[in-house]
Amino acid sequence: MPKYKIADVVFEVKPIYRYTVNLCKAYEYTGEEAPKFVAQMTEQDILAEQQKTDEKYPPAYFESLAVFRKLLDYSLAHCDGIVFHSSAIMVDGNAYLFTAPSGTGKSTHTRLWREMLGDKAVMINDDKPMVRFIDGDFYVYGTPWNGKHNLDTNTRAKVKAICKISQSKENSIRRANSAEMLLTILNQTIRPTETVGMDKLLNLIEKLLTSVDLYCLGCNISREAAELSYKTMSGEQL
Amino acid sequence: MKIKDGFILREVAGNFIVVAVGSAVKQFNGVITLNEAGAFLWKRLQDGATETDLVNALLEEYEVEKEVAEKDVKAFIQKVEEAGLIK
Repeated sequence: MPKYKIADVVFEVKPIYRYTVNLCKAYEYTGEEAPKFVAQMTEQDILAEQQKTDEKYPPAYFESLAVFRKLLDYSLAHCDGIVFHSSAIMVDGNAYLFTAPSGTGKSTHTRLWREMLGDKAVMINDDKPMVRFIDGDFYVYGTPWNGKHNLDTNTRAKVKAICKISQSKENSIRRANSAEMLLTILNQTIRPTETVGMDKLLNLIEKLLTSVDLYCLGCNISREAAELSYKTMSGEQL
Repeated sequence: MKIKDGFILREVAGNFIVVAVGSAVKQFNGVITLNEAGAFLWKRLQDGATETDLVNALLEEYEVEKEVAEKDVKAFIQKVEEAGLIK
C-alpha cells in the first residue's frame, strides 16, 4: 500500500477507492522511514464525512476527506499541526497566508500575486495548507487538498504573515489585532471535537497570533491591490 | 440556571471565547466572544447561579451601580439563552 509524506509526516493509506491515491501522487514516499500511522479506510469513515455536509459528492471524494482528517488529527496530537482555510503563497522563501470565508477572493488575490511576481511566487496550497509549529517557528506546508484550481507544491516555508481579506472598492491594508484575527482563524479552522484537542488547537493559535505579522486587507481585483498587499507585507519593492 | 455541558470558556491571546466540544458541537459549531465581565459571569453560570447571584457577584467584583449590574446581567442572560446555552 502507498506511503505518503505530507507536512513531514509519513503515513500509509489503505483506501477503498483510487481517488485518494491519484490525489496524493506528488506526495508519495518511497524512503525507509516507518509510517507514523495507517489510514485504514472503512465505509464508516466515508459515511461520517458525508454526514458532515449537505453537498453531494462521490464516496471516493469523501474518502479523501476522511484521510485528510486522519492526517490532521495525527498532526494536531503529535506534530503541533493545524489547518485553516487559506491560500498560501511563497515569495523569496517567506510564506503569506490569505484567509477569509469561501467566495471572498483568497484564490483570486494570490493569482494576482502570481501574475505580478511571475516565477518568484510559488503556490504552497490554495485551500487547505498545513501549518506546523517547529522549534519556535511556524511553517506552512503544501498538501494535496488544494482547492478547485488544484494549486499546491510539495514544499514548506516559514510563515511571515497572515492576511484577512475582505472585498472592497478601494484598496487598503492595516495591521490586524489579535481579537479579529483569532475569530477569523477559528471560523476557518477544522476544529477537533474533544477538549484535549481543542486546547492544543487554541494554544497553537495563540502562539501563531503572537509569532507572525497580522493584516487586514480590503481589496478589489486589480494589480494595484496585489502591489499594496505584497509591498506592505514583504517590505520589498517590485 | 446553568450552562449546558460541552461549552468551554477559554482565554486566547487576551480574548475570551466559548466553543463547543463533544456532542454539543452538533448544536453549536461557532465561536462566542465575551468581554471580561461576560467571562466572569459565564464562570459563575457554569457552576449554576440565579440572576440575583450574578448581580451580587458583579457588585462584589466590580465598582458598579446596582441598576447597571442588573441591566448587564439581564443582557448577558438573554444572550446566552438566545444562543441556547442554558439548561
